[in-house]
Amino acid sequence: MTPPGRRHLTGAALAVILLIVLIQAYLFETALEAVLDGQRGQLPGALAVSAALTAAALFLAFKAPGLDRRP
Amino acid sequence: MPGWRSLFPVDLAEESHLSRREFGRFMALVAAGFTAGIGYLQLRRRPLNGASAAPGAAPLDAPAQLKVCRAEDLAPANSFLFTYRDPQDRCVLIRTASGEWRAYRQTCTHLGCAVRWDGKGLQCPCHAGYFEVEQGFPVQGPPTRPLSRLAVELRPDGWLWVTGELPRPGAPEARS
Repeated sequence: MTPPGRRHLTGAALAVILLIVLIQAYLFETALEAVLDGQRGQLPGALAVSAALTAAALFLAFKAPGLDRRP
Repeated sequence: MPGWRSLFPVDLAEESHLSRREFGRFMALVAAGFTAGIGYLQLRRRPLNGASAAPGAAPLDAPAQLKVCRAEDLAPANSFLFTYRDPQDRCVLIRTASGEWRAYRQTCTHLGCAVRWDGKGLQCPCHAGYFEVEQGFPVQGPPTRPLSRLAVELRPDGWLWVTGELPRPGAPEARS
């Protein structure tokens, strides 16, 4: 049997990861704009959301055997 | 067949194959990189180069007033580059076609590229942003906030002085 980490990702899982990366890019751009504008108050919230999204993406990419397609 | 091929019997097509999971892992690491970037912004104490001071806070290490250039040295529709807060705080002094003085930080409010005067307005070369010269409002491209504007004063001796940062139009402290 193929170990979970070596199986294929389903298209849905890959799509979720790509969506997370897009959201992260937008979030980073927004945070950078805010910092350049002198508004640092948004940073803790942006960091928390970004960390949660990254945790979800890392879980899908490395540890989600249930989302793998059977070969 | 070269000798090393027998040691690494993998076809070329197989060598360049990138599985979905490998691609997904790479993209997840890219996402982690964005998080690290936001974390760096959070931890960094000094403001980024050219960034505005926080509302209500005095700019760090800023001279209260700065002598920039003689008024007669700047013809209408021309600009003069100078630094204000520190050597990285690049600003531009503009004499408009109507003869008025404007000074802005060169930092684009989109992603921080340096804007430049083109004779009519301030153009950001990175993403084609454009700002009008009267108050620094964005009129084209991705920027949504006006440029950071500095107060300019013409003294009796003919020198132009920058005397501080003006509140941004539309900022909370400006509305109150």
